[in-house]
Amino acid sequence: MYEVRFHGRGGQGAVMAAQALASAAFKEGYYAVAFPYFGAERRGAPVLAFTRMDKQKIRRKNQVYNPSFVVILDDRLIDLVNVSEGLNPSGAAVVNTRKSPEEIDLGMEIKVGVVDATSVALEVLGVPITNSAILGAFAKTTGVVSIEAVEEGIRDIFGGRIGKEAGEKNAKAARVAYDRTVVGTSRGEKKMVSKKQWLPTVQELPLGLATRSMETDAGLVGPGSFVENKTGSWRTFKPVFNRDKCVMCLLCWFYCPEGAIKRVDGGKTLEFDFDYCKGCGICAEECPTKAIEMVRD
Amino acid sequence: MSVSKVVTGNYAAAYGALLSRIQFAAAYPITPQTFIVEHLSEFVHDGLLDADYVRVESEHSAMSAVVAAEATGVRSFTATSSQGLALMHEVLFLPSALRLPIVMPVVNRTVAAPIGIWCEYNDTMPQRDSGWIQAYVEDNQEVLDMVIQAYKIAENKDVLLPVMLSMDAFILSHTVEPVEFPDQEAVDAFLPSYKAEHAHLWPEDPMIIGSFTPPEYIQEVRYQTDQAMKAAREVIKRVTKDFASAFGRNYGGLVEEYRTDDAEVVLVTLGTVTSTARDVVDEMRDEGKKVGMVKLRYFRPYPFEEIRKVAEGVSAIGFYDRSISYGSGGPSYIEGRHALYGLEIPVMNFLAGLGGRDVRVPDIKLMFEKLLEAAREGKAKKDIVWIGTRGVEP
Repeated sequence: MYEVRFHGRGGQGAVMAAQALASAAFKEGYYAVAFPYFGAERRGAPVLAFTRMDKQKIRRKNQVYNPSFVVILDDRLIDLVNVSEGLNPSGAAVVNTRKSPEEIDLGMEIKVGVVDATSVALEVLGVPITNSAILGAFAKTTGVVSIEAVEEGIRDIFGGRIGKEAGEKNAKAARVAYDRTVVGTSRGEKKMVSKKQWLPTVQELPLGLATRSMETDAGLVGPGSFVENKTGSWRTFKPVFNRDKCVMCLLCWFYCPEGAIKRVDGGKTLEFDFDYCKGCGICAEECPTKAIEMVRD
Repeated sequence: MSVSKVVTGNYAAAYGALLSRIQFAAAYPITPQTFIVEHLSEFVHDGLLDADYVRVESEHSAMSAVVAAEATGVRSFTATSSQGLALMHEVLFLPSALRLPIVMPVVNRTVAAPIGIWCEYNDTMPQRDSGWIQAYVEDNQEVLDMVIQAYKIAENKDVLLPVMLSMDAFILSHTVEPVEFPDQEAVDAFLPSYKAEHAHLWPEDPMIIGSFTPPEYIQEVRYQTDQAMKAAREVIKRVTKDFASAFGRNYGGLVEEYRTDDAEVVLVTLGTVTSTARDVVDEMRDEGKKVGMVKLRYFRPYPFEEIRKVAEGVSAIGFYDRSISYGSGGPSYIEGRHALYGLEIPVMNFLAGLGGRDVRVPDIKLMFEKLLEAAREGKAKKDIVWIGTRGVEP
């Protein structure tokens, strides 16, 4: 049985990628399942999805802990999440990155396929959604499924969900990524650390989980704990602010879902807090004078 | 000085809230609970009760408002019945997990269909897994006394669970009988004001309450609530005793045994049937029949030990139910069998009074006769017996 773990961010389509891979594997004669693990479903937050493929019916319904392959839709996740945790050394990793295989450090020397899937997606689809492109890289790196089956799987899942034309485009993104994928070996120098989690016992858990601000081994929890959880790393695009064009209408300040736009200099101008700006682009969309432009971060 | 007045069960419930000095109430009227809500609004209007009374547009909103109020750390109250309780269902799970000690009388009324307004326990029984303490009472005095006790139990630091006080539609709610109203001072001494420590929405001491919670934590929260429900058993016994010393009325704790000492068979009852059954037990005792009764006062937490202890001394035991879990028997019977697992005596279920049908003395007598017969034979002819159902052999 092959087990695949997808590391993505909310909005990148890791779940659809896992499903399309299952569909591709099914077309190759496998029994295949794909399932998500949803945390707080926020655009940009780290998410997980899984695919299992076997020659017989897959009965286990638990998550994947020892994947044969990991697929990383955003290379910045490597610094945030222990992406190689439990990874079978004879397996492989597939990474969306601008780096070469030798520049990727997964804490273990392992076969790694790299592709700049974000650029492929922007070129082919016009949006930085990398879930289809990365499957081309998966086919090239692992050889478990053919690129033709991946294209079929994408037509099936993406076409069914977002329309035939979009299915074709996404299949093309996979093909382009397949052709551009470079396979090599990762470095194994980095010490991968899993983020410490606050896991209180029944006795330690505040009654009914009514939680005050508390220092724990895993950092701050409760009200105000966001000071340690800098969500700005979720960004793909970044707002660039042109002060001269700004008329201080404050629409951006009002609409920013993160409160990441601050009034500074006695309320005369604005400043962006890149610790928390997720690059959603709502500010640029709302700005009536086009004083905010979104550029690749 | 305490005074006695002839009042309805609904008045007793509202007055119990007044004596408990509730600070917040939100409720939506439904027959047969309506008078509780009306009396409360009068108490507030007349300045007898210093509480915020919020008129809401549904029972779902009532429970939501009460949960929010209790989360700010004030003593809160609501009351409902039947469809109203059903509409509250999804909100019931909040105060039990968030550990908010709300008290709510539920005037037991049949849940449609067919639509009716009379007494049946198919409103409260389906709520048994919502984490609320659930008590059943037999007269109007107990209604009033139990509102006060309920807050004392609910607010205990080892418990911190909401309490649902089940009282029979019309047989209590609209029936007048003498009720002794304790002194406010005596109630104040018994039930001090509520101090929220574990959960409160105060800006000066911020807390996160009821936030989105992943699987890493919820199982521990469930365990905590289960522990609290178990701990409530001892607290209930203690509060019953303390109440008895303060006010002179002892309700016996989780159960009250009636003439069980040398009983050959016992019937486990709940609600107002208990009261009638006392007369039946006395009559049958006069005829030399060794029958006894156990009043099931609390359905949650369930008194496993007490029920088993009684059953170990008798030759047959029966459970009266005023609702049915289709295909399985009544909820009290199902729970009782669980308590009696492995015990080799006939365990019977008597279903009567569904939809508010009157449960008469001969009906209860028949239950005891069936139990005596099962005791003689060592086996019940039928485990689940429908009493007074046309076309069905009891």
